[in-house]
Amino acid sequence: MNPPAALDIKGLTKRYGDGTLALDDLDLEVPDGSFFGLLGPNGAGKTTLIGAVCNLVRPTSGEIRVFGNPGGGMMARRMIGIAEQEPNLDKFLTVYETLLYHGGYYGMGREEAGERAEQMIDAFDLRNKRDVEAPKLSGGMRRRLLLARALLHRPNLVILDEPTAGVDLELRHELWSYIRVLHEQGTTILLTTHYLEEAEALCDEIALISGGKIVARDTAAGLKVSHGAETLEQVYLKTVAGGRIALAEEAARA
Amino acid sequence: MLKLWKQTILAPVIAALLFMVVFGLSLGNSISEINGFEYRVYIVPGLIAMAMAQAAYSNNSSTIFQARNDRYLDDILSAPMPAWQVHLGYLIGGAMRSLLIGVVLTAFALPITGAPLVHPAEALLAVLLLTTAFGALGIIVGVYAQSWDNQSFINNIVILPLIFLGGVFYSVSRLGSPWEQISHLNPLFYVVDATRHGFLGSSDVNPVISLSIVAVITIGLVSWSQYLFSTGHRLKP
Ligand SMILES: Nc1ncnc2c1ncn2[C@@H]1O[C@H](COP(=O)(O)OP(=O)(O)OP(=O)(O)O)[C@@H](O)[C@H]1O
Ligand SMILES: [Mg+2]
Repeated sequence: MNPPAALDIKGLTKRYGDGTLALDDLDLEVPDGSFFGLLGPNGAGKTTLIGAVCNLVRPTSGEIRVFGNPGGGMMARRMIGIAEQEPNLDKFLTVYETLLYHGGYYGMGREEAGERAEQMIDAFDLRNKRDVEAPKLSGGMRRRLLLARALLHRPNLVILDEPTAGVDLELRHELWSYIRVLHEQGTTILLTTHYLEEAEALCDEIALISGGKIVARDTAAGLKVSHGAETLEQVYLKTVAGGRIALAEEAARA
Repeated sequence: MLKLWKQTILAPVIAALLFMVVFGLSLGNSISEINGFEYRVYIVPGLIAMAMAQAAYSNNSSTIFQARNDRYLDDILSAPMPAWQVHLGYLIGGAMRSLLIGVVLTAFALPITGAPLVHPAEALLAVLLLTTAFGALGIIVGVYAQSWDNQSFINNIVILPLIFLGGVFYSVSRLGSPWEQISHLNPLFYVVDATRHGFLGSSDVNPVISLSIVAVITIGLVSWSQYLFSTGHRLKP
């Protein structure tokens, strides 16, 4: 029997209270141990999909399994680490406390969580900000803290929603190398990004999402071949952004 | 948790002590005894109840609203904790501050005013119930609130008036018909009356009745806030 996929999503639909259909009968399988990229335009449903997997959004219908465990359940939640798109830090907590409390939420004892927090502080170069509250951190430091928090409880599946948005080149490379090491150690990574070259450099598989559906899925090389394109950007424009660009051209001419 | 102790502990304690001094010690000489107690003694239990209720309410409503608004509640919702555990955590968090206020206030107020503590266990039960009830109410308002103003609105328009009209400063039995009966419709009257019986051993209604009513209110509010966590209603889109 094959090991269960890290993420197995079947027929996932999410309609928000205001009627917006964000996910439309979506199927997606993320293999165990993969470095998986989820690409798609603004509003495609990436963050909604991640929210549904992480118990942050209530799915309207469909099934989610995380390493075979029912999505939203305790086992599934324990196995996932998430760094959300928007930094969401408690403004009254220091870097150390943010990490310590997170460990507590995941059932670590105070001592274990404290030790692990110190490890993450060193790993993410936050040592001299250890006792500083989140609002006094720079944007890049907040990103690092967000990632440190996501990884603190040693998740098997790490979900990163645009971790490198608005991050300088140096930090971007720093984050990449950290995530790469993590992946080499066997952690499954699900990454969303708007930087196509980033996805191409990092991910061994890519899914393109548009209008709440997966419209293509393959390796970067496979996608280029099947769409007769030379770059991933061309594939992207052909599959998910074509309509929008035609509209923009029309609007510009009008 | 006690980082903001100046705002969350010290401020309500001083406010309640000021009430006791201003109303009790100054006004007390011109007001005759109520139910056999000097005025400054009579108002102590109600003021303690009021300070604790408001602390539990405002701590929880602002904690939850902040966590929702800045979205770090997500770090809790995505963690492997069942809804009841998260709910209990918030209830205990609010109750700790409220109880700390109650202890500090009692420690100052009893020597200053000479108020007794006749039935300590009963007083403790009353304040535990009221702390839980108002903590749950704080959670509910924090979950539904759309803005910071919503919470102070509920506090100023609903909680404060009901507490004041609930007999903190007077015995409602002196109001006469129909105001006495109308006061008995105010749930906070029973909160104040039960607490007063715990401290002074004297009350307008039988403490078994008032404690039962407070317990029913507490159960109702706690079930409501638990429901909000269990279903994720308004916490998760
Ligand atoms: N809480 C919400 N209530 C109503 N609609 C929402 C809510 N959150 C998202 N949406 C809508 O759902 C759709 C998908 O949004 P989502 O945030 O999942 O997109 P995304 O792919 O993450 O986009 P981006 O690349 O801009 O982050 C959009 O139309 C968005 O407006
Ligand atoms: Mg998004």
